[in-house]
Amino acid sequence: MSAVVCDDVVKQYQDVRAVDGVSFEIHEGEIFGMIGPNGAGKTTLMECVEGLRHHDSGRIDVLGHDPAKASATLKERIGIQLQASSLPPRIKVREAFDLFASFYPRPVDTGVLLDRMGLTEKAGSYVAKLSGGQRQRAFIGLALINDPDLVFLDELTTGLDPQARLAMWDVIRDIRGEGKTVFLTTHFMDEAERLCDRVAIMDHGKIVALDTVDALIRSIGSGTKVAFSPDGPAPIAALEAVAGVTRVDEYGDQVIIQGDGDRLLQDVLDALSAAGQNAHNLKTEQPMLEDVFLALTGRKLREGEN
Amino acid sequence: MRAYRQLVTTQLKITLRDPANLFFALIFGPMLVLALGLIFGNTPRPEFHGLGYLDGALAPFAAMVVAIVGLMSVPIDIVTQRESGTLRRLRATPVRPRVYIAADVTIRFIITFVGTMLAFAVGMIAFGVRPIGNFGWVGLAACLGCAAFLALGYALASIYPTQGVAIGVGNILLILLLMMSGAMVPRAVFSPTIQRISDFSPLTQFVTLLRGLWNGEPWGSLWVPVVVLGVMLVVCAAAATKLFRWEPSGTS
Repeated sequence: MSAVVCDDVVKQYQDVRAVDGVSFEIHEGEIFGMIGPNGAGKTTLMECVEGLRHHDSGRIDVLGHDPAKASATLKERIGIQLQASSLPPRIKVREAFDLFASFYPRPVDTGVLLDRMGLTEKAGSYVAKLSGGQRQRAFIGLALINDPDLVFLDELTTGLDPQARLAMWDVIRDIRGEGKTVFLTTHFMDEAERLCDRVAIMDHGKIVALDTVDALIRSIGSGTKVAFSPDGPAPIAALEAVAGVTRVDEYGDQVIIQGDGDRLLQDVLDALSAAGQNAHNLKTEQPMLEDVFLALTGRKLREGEN
Repeated sequence: MRAYRQLVTTQLKITLRDPANLFFALIFGPMLVLALGLIFGNTPRPEFHGLGYLDGALAPFAAMVVAIVGLMSVPIDIVTQRESGTLRRLRATPVRPRVYIAADVTIRFIITFVGTMLAFAVGMIAFGVRPIGNFGWVGLAACLGCAAFLALGYALASIYPTQGVAIGVGNILLILLLMMSGAMVPRAVFSPTIQRISDFSPLTQFVTLLRGLWNGEPWGSLWVPVVVLGVMLVVCAAAATKLFRWEPSGTS
């Protein structure tokens, strides 16, 4: 069962196709991540799915509704954390929770929710005075106030310190643990790797790849790298014969082996000790989602940003 | 209905927590009456046809409160909320836009009306000023003025592109209308041409209506300001309904 179905969705602004024929599905109960550089169209696409913007062509189905039409009924079942939004100035945390609870027919208990978000002590504080992490927790809390089936989180951890980001990931995993579906955008590769069940890579308004993180990494075919310095002359022929090895290079006294398979490292070391040698300065390097992005687009994700 | 009630109580609290809103809506008018009352008193003077200074000044001061809220507070608050994404966050909830606007109008109306009544009350209690006409009619006219100027505020908020424009244009409009209304400078000192032009100002008309009823003139002789404010209410409310925007310009 799919929580979201997009079929050839297009959203055009003047000369720019912000979303250029995008098709994908989000399964119920998964954390679905969309990564891509700023301006790739992630937020525009997400807001079309939320019903806040109207796409020009294609079909969007969210929990069985057309978000452009069934606005109110659908909004009661989804929770939204927007990238560019805020609360009224001078509103306190508890007031914001009570206010938003009043917009829904069956809200959760605001006291329990505040507690779950770790905001009980801050309930009487102005939202504007919270720290970055606390404010993001407050915004997630508001997105969960109607006990939604589908939660949208747009650039949730941007601007958070590493510790607050880790804490936020736990919160999001908990949301999935309750059987809810999560659709998030991020431009942090590690966030997508560690958090998402499936990831779509978006660039120039198109989805260029969509799969689990492992499958995406396998798909670019550059497997594991093993680097070490042997005791003596490297047994090149024996190493090349190891199952899964695709390439062996020597750089001075260092040997770099590329290959695939979960037994690669073990087999290489076995071949080495069969030749009576030990490996020094052993290092392995796994390709990351960043490498997938690089392979697919020819650019680094954060290029031009730093 | 639950959303409306919660919006009214929350919006009332957060609007009055804003020092500028609190000051201009509820404190400025009464303070002006108190200060000028202490300076000029209300001794009857021949040049005011036997009335005191405050007899003639309460109506313009009360009207001034309404003008500040309509021309400054409402448009600036709404444009700011639009730019900061507060309105956008509300659109992501099932709350109906008209419920939100109705609640916002309710609290603005209450605050502004109370502000005008406080200005009158200070004059009446501290300086013993008494209306010649029926004070109930004065209150009714204040309601009409509040509604008309709030509608103007929402219409302006719908038109202004940015907060900067809202503040800049709002200030200019406010000063122009205040100058022409006779609230700051007596209209008698204007040249006939300026007087003629100032007749077209809704604030001038509102002052005329309030002052006329305060002085016991019948509604029948005050039909011009009533019609002006009524038309302003209808036109501005229609414009605001048609043009109100939840998103900053350039996005849709």
